[in-house]
Amino acid sequence: MTWRTPSFAPDILALFAERGAPRIDVPVLQPADPFLDMAGEDLRRRIFLTESETGEALCLRPEFTIPVCLDHIASRATTPQRYAYLGEVFRQRREGGNEFFQAGIEDLGETDIATADARSVADAHALLSRLLPDAALVVTLGDQSLFEAVLAALGLPRGWQKRLARAFGSPAALESALTDLANPPRAAALDDEAASLVAASDAGALAALVEARMEAVGMSPHLGRSPEEVARRLMEKSDLRAVRLSDDAFAALRRFLAIRVPLSEAAAALASFASDAKLSFDAALGRFDARAASLAANGLDAERIVYDAAFGRPLDYYTGLVFEVGLPDASRPLAGGGRYDRLLTLLGAKQPIPGVGFSVWLDRIAEARGEPA
Amino acid sequence: MTVTLAIPSKGRLKDNALAKLAAAGLDVVQPEDSRSYRARIAGRDDIDVLLLSASEIARELGQGAVDLGVTGEDVLREAVAEVDSRAEILARLGFGFADVVVAVPDVWLDVETMADLDDVAADFRQRHGRRMRIATKYWRLTQQFFSQLHGIQVYRIVESLGATEGAPAAGSADLIVDITTTGSTLRANNLKVLEDGVILRSQACLVAAVKDRSPADRATIEDLRARMGAG
Repeated sequence: MTWRTPSFAPDILALFAERGAPRIDVPVLQPADPFLDMAGEDLRRRIFLTESETGEALCLRPEFTIPVCLDHIASRATTPQRYAYLGEVFRQRREGGNEFFQAGIEDLGETDIATADARSVADAHALLSRLLPDAALVVTLGDQSLFEAVLAALGLPRGWQKRLARAFGSPAALESALTDLANPPRAAALDDEAASLVAASDAGALAALVEARMEAVGMSPHLGRSPEEVARRLMEKSDLRAVRLSDDAFAALRRFLAIRVPLSEAAAALASFASDAKLSFDAALGRFDARAASLAANGLDAERIVYDAAFGRPLDYYTGLVFEVGLPDASRPLAGGGRYDRLLTLLGAKQPIPGVGFSVWLDRIAEARGEPA
Repeated sequence: MTVTLAIPSKGRLKDNALAKLAAAGLDVVQPEDSRSYRARIAGRDDIDVLLLSASEIARELGQGAVDLGVTGEDVLREAVAEVDSRAEILARLGFGFADVVVAVPDVWLDVETMADLDDVAADFRQRHGRRMRIATKYWRLTQQFFSQLHGIQVYRIVESLGATEGAPAAGSADLIVDITTTGSTLRANNLKVLEDGVILRSQACLVAAVKDRSPADRATIEDLRARMGAG
């Protein structure tokens, strides 16, 4: 028989121990709802779902971050806390097997963001360097919070900021959002009664109208979207129609998204962008610089880290750093990670708990080492 | 060699399918035992006919268990993953029209397009402590349309096996994805279709499973395509 665990698993566990991250184990069978709630219904066709006798939806764990966070919340562990894992995950994939190994570290509750971010990148890099000593690893780094800071500095209406922020990391979604913003929607096709209340900016009366109509058709105003929510968004839409994304703002956004430089040049590139576009987002830049300094303190070569201003993940719990580590010119990264400060609250934590982590794909590492996956 | 042709076993779809076949010069001889689901076509020993439900026909086509089938495009696209590599629509038959649509409550005055829905979905969890819920029996079509085409990730599907259009009023879902022909059921339930919310304009189709066949079977299928596609 052959062992399915990769031959280099002991090296990974040794590295976790050296770097002071104790190992955690979580059940293979997990409740499915947290994954579908967090990652969305698109995940449904990529995971293995099953049901308990009582009808609870269960799945084979498709990744470790959510189970580790749930375990942390359930055990009321103190923070900060780092958790290392190594084990099988299960996904329906077009290429490769449906069960494969992942390893990684989740760092929960560390409030020194720059330090925790840099340590996560350094851990991933150290792990890959040990397993692939001859590889010229490249780190790609993106920053959701920097993009959001640029949107805020441009003075865009809040609705637009939110729309663009959630498209971050998906070139297609971002392009379609930008197109929409350059061509604001025409007026809503409203009946006269609602239209006159919108024209009069009377949000209170509008909400009352919506509530009356809900009750008239037997819809509870308390079960789903509330009358106030519908009225407020209708007013916002009406306000947005009056605004155009100026050519300057449009050009500035595009210029920002095109920034792709070695981290060693990123501070200069961002500073020159800010001064040319006459924008100020110093607080976010300060955090970016602190992280860059911390990465250098961890011994990472800023020449081999690429900052890509458009690089992100279109999931609403990613809040700051996102990164990948891979081989030059490889289409798939060997490791991926990021900061997810909203995730633990979404999963039910009573207090906000910052988190950052990464995961490495052991089958891809085996391939890069020339071993059977 | 014979090819198997699956046709709907009951209702208007069956009647329309039989009429369409008859008009194409293919008279289905129904089994004497009404419980049997096997039939044949007069004078055509190269075709076996099976009477199955529309969704069974779609699944059997997806698995290549039957060669040909008459079923709705909506049912086919919902039942079969990666359908375009497994099945080919040979002819659209001009009956069984139904649109698969995204419909929201009329009182959502602020929601007219999928982009509006994207906005609403993004804030939903924060406002209501849960994701936006969509009632449907078309989870595959819904997921393709929302996630892949419109980039809307954060919503949950509530599987609905009947009376989907009542779900928003009952509070079990916020909106629906369902089929409509005239829109009257949606209107009666105070729902409206989004401007860009038509997922699929469906009708009954003659569908072939993609697989290797003998020249004789290919000729039979080509003959059926020519006859059924004609009128």
